[in-house]
Amino acid sequence: MTAAIARKPFRRWSVLPGFAPALGFTLTYLSLIVIIPLIALFLKASQLDMASIWRILDNPRVFAAFRLTFVASAVAAGINAVFGLVIAWLLVRYRFWGRRIVDALVDLPFALPTAVAGVSLSALMARNGWVGALFAPFGIDIAYAPPGIVIALIFVGLPFVVRTVQPVLQDFEPELEEAAATLGADRWVTFLRITFPALAPAMLTGFALAFARAIGEYGSVIFIAGNRPGLTEIVPLLIVIKLEEFDYRGASVIAVASLIISFSLLILINLLQRRLGEHHERG
Amino acid sequence: MTIEVRNVSKSFGAYHALKNVSLTVEDGELMALLGPSGSGKTTLLRIIAGLDQPDSGEVLIHGQDLSKQAVRDRRVGFVFQHYSLFKNMSVFENVAFGLRVRPRHQRPSDVEIKRRVDELLGLVQLDPFASRYPAQLSGGQRQRVALARALAIEPKVLLLDEPFGALDARVRKELRRWMRKLHKEINVTSVFVTHDQEEALELADRIAIMNAGQIEQVATPSEAYDRPATQFVSEFLGFANRLACQVENGVARVGGFALPVELENYAGDAVAYIRPHEIGLARANGHDIAKATIDSIVALGPSARVDLAFGDDRLEALIDRERLAELGLSVGDDCAITITRAHVFKSA
Repeated sequence: MTAAIARKPFRRWSVLPGFAPALGFTLTYLSLIVIIPLIALFLKASQLDMASIWRILDNPRVFAAFRLTFVASAVAAGINAVFGLVIAWLLVRYRFWGRRIVDALVDLPFALPTAVAGVSLSALMARNGWVGALFAPFGIDIAYAPPGIVIALIFVGLPFVVRTVQPVLQDFEPELEEAAATLGADRWVTFLRITFPALAPAMLTGFALAFARAIGEYGSVIFIAGNRPGLTEIVPLLIVIKLEEFDYRGASVIAVASLIISFSLLILINLLQRRLGEHHERG
Repeated sequence: MTIEVRNVSKSFGAYHALKNVSLTVEDGELMALLGPSGSGKTTLLRIIAGLDQPDSGEVLIHGQDLSKQAVRDRRVGFVFQHYSLFKNMSVFENVAFGLRVRPRHQRPSDVEIKRRVDELLGLVQLDPFASRYPAQLSGGQRQRVALARALAIEPKVLLLDEPFGALDARVRKELRRWMRKLHKEINVTSVFVTHDQEEALELADRIAIMNAGQIEQVATPSEAYDRPATQFVSEFLGFANRLACQVENGVARVGGFALPVELENYAGDAVAYIRPHEIGLARANGHDIAKATIDSIVALGPSARVDLAFGDDRLEALIDRERLAELGLSVGDDCAITITRAHVFKSA
């Protein structure tokens, strides 16, 4: 019993050499790239006392920006999760002419400067643009309104879900679906009860990546958002505005707040994902 | 219920997996499809299940043509080679799956489902494991879950693809015996695919031996072993020594022996297959019809395999170790051999 409850050893014995250099490298690398800049950020913010921090955050304009950023990011990531699954499904399950081209197109949002995406999307979605003109008669604004922001965020987050679901779908045993069919399940039930649960952890990973990417997105959104304070202003823009006003402390406070919320949400998603993937991983 | 396969052909591109195959499985029979890999046995099984469509020909179950029926309406129990259990479901839910996915008006109540699943888990001796997940089971246990899951839909026929292939030798033997007993109990017409002849011989009522997309022979295990229909069957089923011989007037001349054969109207070159236990050994006494030299002796439990040099040919004989000791033969000795039986086929 004591052995069973004994705490996990720091390092499990392994035949593979190189644990020490690998760990050393990882820590150094992470420190330089991630940890040190973040600590600097926290230090900057901590120069203020709690009351002043609260005064910066307790402001309708800041609150609106936070709400817009997180809601729009979640909606965009959610839409990407669904359509990313469809695209991955198409690319893995079917062989058709032009499949490789579609496959390459998926990565394009990674390569394109996001500002270019923002400019062309806003031209398209504006009231006089091709798409915007279709909605304008109904009084629906896409560009310079929250829907435009969501569209820009969908664009930058598109590859994540596709690329995380694709390999999992590729490795999925077709026998599982065949087994369900021999047991009398129709395609829809088979998808819901067999295929989807196997893909869900990967979809959630893709969702988390797209969500995180959307929260930090700046380039494409500022062109399409209209940037009206309290209405279509996102958190990264608010930070830039504070910087331009030489309000470095204000900027770092908002950044830290955004960081803490994102980090908590990502940990939450991670826990959820572990629960989903529990029995799959052990199999 | 009977299974009738009529003139089924199937190609994958240029590769002919099945060439005009016909087969009848009787009601309540346990039939083995035996053959080397690539012989088309799994393709045939999948076509019977409806998982693959034949290019031509038809499959009848209980006299009913199922070619146009979807897999899910066929009520065919299929056990996959790697079991394909649903990893995100407990053992109980795996077995219950086939009942839960029925259309609402045919679906049993939860109480009824619980009763049926418990009964099936009892049948496969897994009652204590109902709440476990597949990843927490051993290979043999997973196999039995797969079987219980397939039986839950009360299948018309049960099809098993290499059911013991992924198990270690001891578990395989146990499961084989258990499976034989289970089949007697439930008496569902069953077909299983295997490349292991021992498995086919021990388990099946009849064996269909397949080679290169065709069925070479359908026979009971003893019939197939004692009277192989083709050269392929003689070579594939158990080991057989191969000797060139001459046939004339219904008699084959094999290594100095004259053996009656069923090739009455044939004269010319032929091939004789001789089982290791059909070669007799004796001490050489100078008047022997055929002589051979002992190359090596390998003890296999109560028997011994004696490798012989017989002219330019090599022969394998199987003899009791006691008998070998009585004869006093050892490696390097010359000995007399007798051939009591052979299966003779025309040279191709």
